[in-house]
Amino acid sequence: MTPDEVVAALGAVQASMSYDDIVVDVPREQWATAVTAARDDLHLTFFDFLTGVDLLDDGFEVVVRLWSLSGRAGLQLRTRCPRADPTVSSLSGIFAGADWHERQAAELFGLGFVGHPRLDPLLLPPGFEGHPLRKEFVLTARVEKVWPGGKEPGESAVEAAGSRRRKHLPLGVPPTGRP
Amino acid sequence: MNADEQDLVLRTASGEGHYPDAEPELPPRARGAIGLIEENCTVCMLCARECPDWCLYIDSHKEPLPPLGPQGRPRVRNVLDRFAIDFSLCMYCGICIEVCPFDALFWTPEFAYAGLAATDLVHERDLLGEWMASVPEPPALDPAAAPAPEATDAAATERGTAPPR
Repeated sequence: MTPDEVVAALGAVQASMSYDDIVVDVPREQWATAVTAARDDLHLTFFDFLTGVDLLDDGFEVVVRLWSLSGRAGLQLRTRCPRADPTVSSLSGIFAGADWHERQAAELFGLGFVGHPRLDPLLLPPGFEGHPLRKEFVLTARVEKVWPGGKEPGESAVEAAGSRRRKHLPLGVPPTGRP
Repeated sequence: MNADEQDLVLRTASGEGHYPDAEPELPPRARGAIGLIEENCTVCMLCARECPDWCLYIDSHKEPLPPLGPQGRPRVRNVLDRFAIDFSLCMYCGICIEVCPFDALFWTPEFAYAGLAATDLVHERDLLGEWMASVPEPPALDPAAAPAPEATDAAATERGTAPPR
């Protein structure tokens, strides 16, 4: 299986290599047909995993990795969906194993999988609010706890709390979560 | 079975040669706990700000110092009151050690500091300082490397040709 064969079989624009895997981007409308073609025409019969990637303003990426048992080669298929409408068609009818992976991606990233039989939460406790792998999700620990780096050298915690100077802000904490 | 394997089986069966009966042989750059040389710390807060886990706690205060000369202004210096690392949060990334501009933090090979509760894993500066005793010597410089700046400075001082500071 070469990148050119994959491009021809899936009708994709181009393929790249990531380590030993071939990586192909497909439009959202062709998501299920591309995966079906990969399974039937390229003999990628083993479903490895499916997950999401939060690209902030560029929406979400859905990645699926397939493996060819006969050819001993891996293929990653990716598609994008906008933040306003984060849905792709479900792969659970093509690979039964995709069912749980899509449930996991749905609860952790808030993605929708059209055609999934039962998109119930899989891992999170009942009543959990939010999608913890989205970049805007704020960890409780980052809200509850005072950032230890917020103090200036030689400044006590009391002085730091009362100070009106512009404060250093912790990296990687969404603005809504900053104390 | 070769001689090494045979030896391993015998030692395993006898219960000898393994932790906790014997101290393990750790690789020279083993990442155990993190040690602190308190004297080197200037309370710059860089480690606490860079720590992705928020597991470094530093308290400090300012103390006045007398002016250098009769015309000098009074000075202040930062004094460390508390330096603690919460090893229940630490992920051993080593960013604090890398970022420290004054070489106050070091990897130590210490690993046996478990506690019965998560709060027992907050270790204060006295213990972090004790761990410094187990830090191995840094590896020797490559034979072709330039001499260490400390060594050239010391030699220049001896000759009386120290570079102006």
